[in-house]
Amino acid sequence: MTDPTVAEAWVAAPLRRLMDDARLISGVMLYPTGRAVGQFGFSNAADVMSICALTSAINASARELGRQLDGKPFYETHHAGADRQVFMARCLAGGQEFLFVGVFDRESSLGMVEIYFAEFQKALEKLRPEAPTRGKGPSGDFEGELNRSLDALFGPIGKK
Amino acid sequence: MRILSEVVATLSHLPGVVVAMVVGAIDGLIVETSGMKGGTADQDPRKHTAALAAYLYSKATRAADAARLGTPAFMRLEAEQGHICVVGARDVVLVTIVTPDANLGRVRLDMMNAARSDL
Repeated sequence: MTDPTVAEAWVAAPLRRLMDDARLISGVMLYPTGRAVGQFGFSNAADVMSICALTSAINASARELGRQLDGKPFYETHHAGADRQVFMARCLAGGQEFLFVGVFDRESSLGMVEIYFAEFQKALEKLRPEAPTRGKGPSGDFEGELNRSLDALFGPIGKK
Repeated sequence: MRILSEVVATLSHLPGVVVAMVVGAIDGLIVETSGMKGGTADQDPRKHTAALAAYLYSKATRAADAARLGTPAFMRLEAEQGHICVVGARDVVLVTIVTPDANLGRVRLDMMNAARSDL
């Protein structure tokens, strides 16, 4: 298992611990706007780009679905596939909201992922994001933000 | 087949049993649990214990299989201040947290009987 690659250094240690403890195969932490903060288990920027875009959209859909069905947003999502399972949830650091999506198989379990994600959330609450946040809403430049974060994680495309 | 709440209630009334739980063998999530004796709501270790015990049991099952010993019948983890006992029953595992002075023979017998006939 390789170390996480991060766009913001403060998240490296908790992300590494979550990866090890919960025995996750891969995972991405991102802003709700889709900008990646850190990842592990991926070697391809295009994969992370897809994950970020999909997670951001699924999160927005799940929240609205929760509001309509239950009167409050759904913050946690789990999908069990035949071999691999996906866990998505939100976390907070310094008042800023983040999303996390992780993939695991039979080497772990939903119960394990939930308890170690709870520890991850607690660890993040004590930390402060490095960069000042640019407002709570999306900047409107979704693609630009996504590309900048991917450059930070994998290096500029074509310059490797 | 008894309902799960009866199974955990019966086990939890054994002397020395702090908590009894039925836990999903695959996902490690609590299906049914007794009340926690002496526990507080914000420091309830049941969820952690359930997930980790189910995980440990799955690893013990693999170890037993690798050693060609068949399926584990009963697993007991002895710690400084008590024991965690686990018995598998198809899709679930039965987990108890037990004090050091408990009658472990009785706990073992009742857990295995419950796994065999009630789950």
